[in-house]
Amino acid sequence: MNFPPLSEHDCEKASNSYLMSLMAIVVGLPLPIVNLLATFGFYLGNRKGSHFVRWHCTQALVSQFSLLFMNSAGFWWSVAILLGKKDPDNSYIAYMVTVILFNLADFIATMYSAIHTRKGNHVHWWLYGDITNRICPK
Amino acid sequence: MKIFGKIIVLIVLFISIWQMLALVPWTKTLGLEEARVSTEEKLGDLIWQQYKDRENREPALTEPAHQILSIICKANHIETENIKLHVIDDIEVNAFAMPGQSIIVNRGLLEETQDPGELAGVIAHELAHLQHNHVMKKLLREFGLSVLTSVASGRGGGQTAEVMKILGATAYDRKFEKEADLSAVEYMVAAGVSPEHLANFLYRLGKADGNQEKYLRWIRTHPDSGERAAYILDHARKQQQNIRPLLADSSWQQMKNALELEAEED
Repeated sequence: MNFPPLSEHDCEKASNSYLMSLMAIVVGLPLPIVNLLATFGFYLGNRKGSHFVRWHCTQALVSQFSLLFMNSAGFWWSVAILLGKKDPDNSYIAYMVTVILFNLADFIATMYSAIHTRKGNHVHWWLYGDITNRICPK
Repeated sequence: MKIFGKIIVLIVLFISIWQMLALVPWTKTLGLEEARVSTEEKLGDLIWQQYKDRENREPALTEPAHQILSIICKANHIETENIKLHVIDDIEVNAFAMPGQSIIVNRGLLEETQDPGELAGVIAHELAHLQHNHVMKKLLREFGLSVLTSVASGRGGGQTAEVMKILGATAYDRKFEKEADLSAVEYMVAAGVSPEHLANFLYRLGKADGNQEKYLRWIRTHPDSGERAAYILDHARKQQQNIRPLLADSSWQQMKNALELEAEED
């Protein structure tokens, strides 16, 4: 994807959308909605920015949705176990390990994107980049 | 690949990783199963210490109950050695399951049962609570894991009394009671005992005079006895029954005679 020449300001803002996402992952892992709200807030704040900034804010936001569903399911399953309604079996532990792996993958991808967008490089994620192209046309 | 295809791939990838990881015996590897069993056994031992002094070891009283338990366990492929049954010198009509695979039966309940089938029904019901792990689930809901672990390790202080109260004096929730009732029906049928005895016992006790102190605990811990008797009979009708004698009449009569003697001595 081609973007018009980028200013230092644009690179910084696009990178910050991923940093916002990173902070939200750290705080929000036990509270899934925090991830989404933080990233959404940053997206709203940059709706009128350049196409490069808007695109990367959107990609950061879209990637949070899949995490929201899997983290929410994990959260409520954990609450059910703490309340004694369910037992912590192999399936539960396997689910939590899987969720942690996916969150870790998202964390690494987000850090990579934050570094590269700060340098002015475009980073197109598998699946989420395609969705962002549909949502955020030129 | 189109977006929809990639979404499907992501979902399949997530589920595949989850299911592959689920093949790992995590609870064993992390020692969770061992910790759970250990906590339950320690809890059971600690609570039993509070009842131990009131145990009635008179063979005429305890043998029939142990024999009935053994018959039910064997018929349902349950390891009898793992289940402990104790008779307690308490005139209240009550029986309850305890952590550590124990069943407590009050003398008052033995007096109240009119035939071996009724006692078999009560024992089958409490055995079902143990088999479905209702005891620990109930305690976890009431107290949470950290409190139970403290109590089990002897650091629980006054909470041991609270745990005993919850076990012996409060009802399980409706879902657990129904599950135990229906399993009890199946256990009784497998042992050749008519589940009607359990239904009759529940119905009779449910109609008991709530002002008589000895019935109070039963009524508090077994609400809706009439309704339960009805669905027990309903479930029993769906089972193929092959009724067999449970206990020799002489054993039962000996127990009743011993109970009368003990009641006179009190």
